[in-house]
Amino acid sequence: MPDTAVSTRALVKRYRDVTAVDSLDLDVRRGEIYGFLGRNGAGKTTTIRMVLGLIRPSSGDIAVLGRRIRPGETKVFSKIGFLVETATAYPNLTVRENLDIQRRLTSSPPRAVADSIGLLRLDAYADRRAGQLSLGNKQRLALARALLHSPELLVLDEPANGLDPAGIVEIRELLRSLADERGVTVFMSSHILAEIAHLADRIGIVHDGRLIEESSRDELAAKARAFATEAYTPEEREQALLTLDLERYFLARTGDRPVSGSSSTAGDA
Amino acid sequence: MFGQVLATEFRKLHHSKAPWATLAVLGLMPLGIALFMWIVREPGRAAELGLLGTKANLAGLEATWPEYFYMLTLIIGVGGMLLLAFIVAYLFGREYRDATAKNMLALPVARHWFALAKLAVAAAWWMALVVIVLIEALGIGLAMGLPGFSAALAGTGIANVFLAAVISFLLAPVISWIAVWSRGEVAPIAFSLVMLALGNLFGRTGWAEWFPYSIVPLLIGVVADPVDSLPAASYVVLTGTFAVGIAATLLQLRFADNAQ
Repeated sequence: MPDTAVSTRALVKRYRDVTAVDSLDLDVRRGEIYGFLGRNGAGKTTTIRMVLGLIRPSSGDIAVLGRRIRPGETKVFSKIGFLVETATAYPNLTVRENLDIQRRLTSSPPRAVADSIGLLRLDAYADRRAGQLSLGNKQRLALARALLHSPELLVLDEPANGLDPAGIVEIRELLRSLADERGVTVFMSSHILAEIAHLADRIGIVHDGRLIEESSRDELAAKARAFATEAYTPEEREQALLTLDLERYFLARTGDRPVSGSSSTAGDA
Repeated sequence: MFGQVLATEFRKLHHSKAPWATLAVLGLMPLGIALFMWIVREPGRAAELGLLGTKANLAGLEATWPEYFYMLTLIIGVGGMLLLAFIVAYLFGREYRDATAKNMLALPVARHWFALAKLAVAAAWWMALVVIVLIEALGIGLAMGLPGFSAALAGTGIANVFLAAVISFLLAPVISWIAVWSRGEVAPIAFSLVMLALGNLFGRTGWAEWFPYSIVPLLIGVVADPVDSLPAASYVVLTGTFAVGIAATLLQLRFADNAQ
């Protein structure tokens, strides 16, 4: 079994005069959470679409879980859960019906629908039509769909889109536990630095379609700290800390966890 | 796997208004024909009511069963091409409109099964509409007491309606290709409107038997006298159009970029 879950070699995607992905060599190791960080338009989504076989590379190779991605490849997708860009579902169908379609097409057992609804805390919305869901719950539905067939690899494009702070923390913890407890590989893209910093074991920074840096989170954190010490003003550091404080306070007030450093619960806080 | 995909394609229509909308549109047609027949039969009363008595008379219609079947075949044949285009555009194009195509195409299911299942759903949907509307039309015709009914006439009339329905369906895969190529619903419907107009035009040039979209008008007699049976060339053209449409749809799904 290869120790890379996703591997690209000299991957290129051109749209007429625009090179969206340029000679990308990428290795996502099995069992790790790989953060694919880049600005809007850096080539993250194009890379993910190629990995999933939704668009064809102009040149280069992609291998996923040991299988080369080429037209007609389907077998490997039984081991991949994914969320690409926007969370979408059949709007006229309920959450349960949407997931049942996924279950049938991935030959998953009937209980998988209820399990994924429970995992993403969608019980209260199970019989609501997808078109009537909030953006955050649509995102949960898309994640439930991605997880329904217990994939070995999760390919997630901006998984925190539309989620409130509590939802972001919840999904972060869910992904961490999937990686730690079940050995699921997570290849996730984001342009939100905090998301990647919280979750990823290794981080690749893509810019203008090229991978310009790749390090472990600790290495990147060390570089960032050294850089921040020089570049940040005291006000900026204060602002960053305030953001963290606000997140923790918000979670406490909205009932997800006790206020740190006190015995009071969210409701009491 | 085809069975599972087919089941999910039918499931996707659950709670959808589209099948009911198509039934309402096609179901109104026999009522419209019946209204014209009544106007032709009762021009004085129709004129008193301010209905289209003069225009109906100008159309040269007769309130008889042969005429009634002719109109029914016309609606299923020519109107059906447009309605089928809507059905196929809806089944394929909605996956791009709702951005669910990407969810469908990265599954452990060969993409051709989706295309074939959608075409099978379109066929079932279309045939259900035709049967329901045929039953409705026969009921209305009998209730109106139109003259000239016979078992032989009914047999021929119903056979012609089904032949027109089947020919219309043979053109459907081209619409599915346009839908996946354009990644939406507008282009296939626009394409079918243009083809209907071209079909009418080609029908008048003498090439009707060779142009797929002229063959239904040729069968019905929209552009010339109706033919008793289509020339063999027309069946070859229709079969070829069907095969090319399916092949183009499958190749587009397999080899082209399919992101929204």
